[in-house]
Amino acid sequence: MRSMYSFLAEGDEFVPPSSKDFVLPPIFGDNPYTTKPIFLVFLSVIVLSIFFLMASRKAAIVPSKLQFAGESVYAYVRNELGRDIIGHEFMRFVPYLFSLFTFILVNNWFGIIPMLQFPTMSRISFAYVLGIITFAVFHYVGIRHHGIIKYMKDILFMPGVPKPVYILLTPIEVATYLIVRPLTISLRLFANMFAGHLLLMIFILGGEHLLEGAIGLKLVSPFAFAFGIALTFFEFLVQCLQAYIFTLLTALYIGGALADEH
Amino acid sequence: MSRNNEGAAWTIMGYLLSGPLFWGGVGYGLDAWLGTGYFLASGLLLGMGAALYLVWLRFGR
Repeated sequence: MRSMYSFLAEGDEFVPPSSKDFVLPPIFGDNPYTTKPIFLVFLSVIVLSIFFLMASRKAAIVPSKLQFAGESVYAYVRNELGRDIIGHEFMRFVPYLFSLFTFILVNNWFGIIPMLQFPTMSRISFAYVLGIITFAVFHYVGIRHHGIIKYMKDILFMPGVPKPVYILLTPIEVATYLIVRPLTISLRLFANMFAGHLLLMIFILGGEHLLEGAIGLKLVSPFAFAFGIALTFFEFLVQCLQAYIFTLLTALYIGGALADEH
Repeated sequence: MSRNNEGAAWTIMGYLLSGPLFWGGVGYGLDAWLGTGYFLASGLLLGMGAALYLVWLRFGR
């Protein structure tokens, strides 16, 4: 197998992309704060601010295309994620849900935008911070709504269960609310972006490597590139879906914290 | 309402994950402490069972 490989591929051995490729060097100087993902986050904030300022600046009854695009996104988040899930108090949370959705969406899109091509959320810290904010928001909302004692009691003690069973069930409730929820919401976003970026790197770098190989390999290289392009479109779907799911879960958690009994 | 079912699905997933995670973790700790080998498996089963019971309590009855 080894000899066949070297017969086919003249030149260097293919180095598959790995998690090391996600650790990018700082752009200025020698510190961990000026790396590409950090600049991408700032860029996303600038892009979003400009887009929505432009879209809402000359608001008219008959909207321009830009205004229509901006309002569609807003209406979608407000109606589908806010109103339908949180219920009658939803307007308080729409700004958060809307910022969250658009922020994650744009940062995910950076993964396939030419020249940028790095999904910010494939660095886990960003996903963790968003998870922690959501965690803080939904617990704060629940405590404010019910008062801390009732809120804790609702989480810890399922009604209508014989007392000894609480030893079995209460730890699971605590683990769900305090650990599993913030962890899974962050990890789901991170892992999807990480895996997607890795997949694209494999097909596109692999295609490039095949192109540098012997004639037989040059011939199959277009297939690798074609697959890379197909996966880019697939990745676009995943990116939208993950932004949606993160916001959906945030809305569900807030709705759950506000619910009178659960 | 379908949106409520959607919420239930995510909550159930959370329970089914944290049940085995917590009681399996307790079992793993007991195994490491006492040098036995059966607490981890029993903990996982117990956690899964308790999680299913919790799901039934919340959504089944």
